[in-house]
Amino acid sequence: MESPKIWRERRERYLGIGNNCLDCKEKSFPRSDYCLKCSSKNIEEYKLARTGKIIQFTQVTQSAQEHIICSPFIISLIELDDGIQVTGQIVDHNYDDIKEGMKVRMIFRVLSKDGEEGLVKYGFKFEPY
Amino acid sequence: MSSNKVYVIGYGLTKFGELYNRGPISLAAQALTDAITNSQIDKNQIQTAFFGSLVSGSNSQPSIGTSCIRNCNLNIPTSRIEAGNASGAAAFYQAYLSILSGAYKCIAVVGVEKLSDYVKSGIIERILGSTIDYQWEFEMGATLTSLYAILTKAHMKEFGTTLEQLASVPAKNHKNGVHNPQAQFRREISIENFLKAKRISDPIGRFDPATYCDGAAAVILASAKFIEDNSNIPTQVPILGSGQASESIALHHRDSLTTISSSVKAANIAFSEAKLSAKDINFAEVHDSYPIGEILAIEDLGFFAKGKGGKASQEGLTELNAEISVNPSGGLKSRGDPFGATGIAQIAEVVEQMRGSAGQRQVSDNSCGLTQNVLGTGAMSYVNIFGKDEVKK
Repeated sequence: MESPKIWRERRERYLGIGNNCLDCKEKSFPRSDYCLKCSSKNIEEYKLARTGKIIQFTQVTQSAQEHIICSPFIISLIELDDGIQVTGQIVDHNYDDIKEGMKVRMIFRVLSKDGEEGLVKYGFKFEPY
Repeated sequence: MSSNKVYVIGYGLTKFGELYNRGPISLAAQALTDAITNSQIDKNQIQTAFFGSLVSGSNSQPSIGTSCIRNCNLNIPTSRIEAGNASGAAAFYQAYLSILSGAYKCIAVVGVEKLSDYVKSGIIERILGSTIDYQWEFEMGATLTSLYAILTKAHMKEFGTTLEQLASVPAKNHKNGVHNPQAQFRREISIENFLKAKRISDPIGRFDPATYCDGAAAVILASAKFIEDNSNIPTQVPILGSGQASESIALHHRDSLTTISSSVKAANIAFSEAKLSAKDINFAEVHDSYPIGEILAIEDLGFFAKGKGGKASQEGLTELNAEISVNPSGGLKSRGDPFGATGIAQIAEVVEQMRGSAGQRQVSDNSCGLTQNVLGTGAMSYVNIFGKDEVKK
């Protein structure tokens, strides 16, 4: 895991920053230098909706090494209240307690850890409310 | 003989499995040499070679082609094509286009992967992560298996597909794979054993995924002109149609979780080029890396109506010599899945079936075959349609 990569993604990972196109009104995530729909550069930063619902989910029991500190965990497709979909973990709940359509809110957590002495990467996850 | 057709004239396959005493270059060179022998051409007639691989050589010699041709005592230009798990089919497609363009008359396509080198230290998980959206799926915690679990749950929810129906897919493929000498797992696994295995990503069980492994496969492509000039070539399997198509790599950007739209699009291109439809296909090698993969494939390719793939599998309609023989080779599940090699191994199986030399897994009606190779959860799909060997000798 490279520190420049973590640094350059910090606004997307920590704050959920995407784009809002001032021309075609398309909202997208993550951030880019132009609108993904109409290619306009007339864009502003946009902060993802903080709440949404679970579309589909499953449990990860065989995770990648860097995610093993959280394993097993629930991974889910989330539709945020602004219509944007993201993939994220559901925290602090047992797999059997999670249902499709459940309301969730975005929270800030440790995403992964690169071994005992490596970098810790933070980002957003979700908790039902 | 139509002058603008492209033909597969031979293939070479290594054993698939954990081949600890073999490196990627040696595997690729063996498959290529065997393909040349199998085609009964002089090796110096090959003008260029395309290599399909996801990672092989990236820890030492990424340009595997340059080393491989040296090991085969060839001196031809080579290119490496990467399209994740579908690298083999991607390389095949580029070779097909290169012959259609008129630039070349005879091309070797080699698919190779050496995944057992990466099992230690968690690198394999990152390799698998590279077949899904690395930044916004893998780094958020998703794995290829978990995303296929989500696709499975969506299909179960929308169409009532059951775990028994899902388990009938790998059970059937293992039954076919028993008769494939190149396959990694040549034994049957009962539906009960699939069902009682521990869930690794609900509803996907321990035995459900195809295993990543080592192996190489090669095919030789030739133009109609090349075949005219070399009338002693015994095998000429025409490519009737070929298509590639894409889809958002991340599931969270897709409109539907119950169809792989890249497969639908690639199949439409291939069928329209071949002037055929799904009902003309007698046998198919499809991407069954997970049970739902094959169910989505047989629906998206048009063999069965959307939502009926699970039922059709359970009723045995996809078994050897049933309504359509799906994965007579045993598929990725039984053969093993060395990513770059898989797409080429599927085509090699078609050639073997067309020759009528597939032994106990031979399909009785071999007039039209299809292959489908998929990247990740469907970011890219490649579909090829093959006709019957045109000249019998």
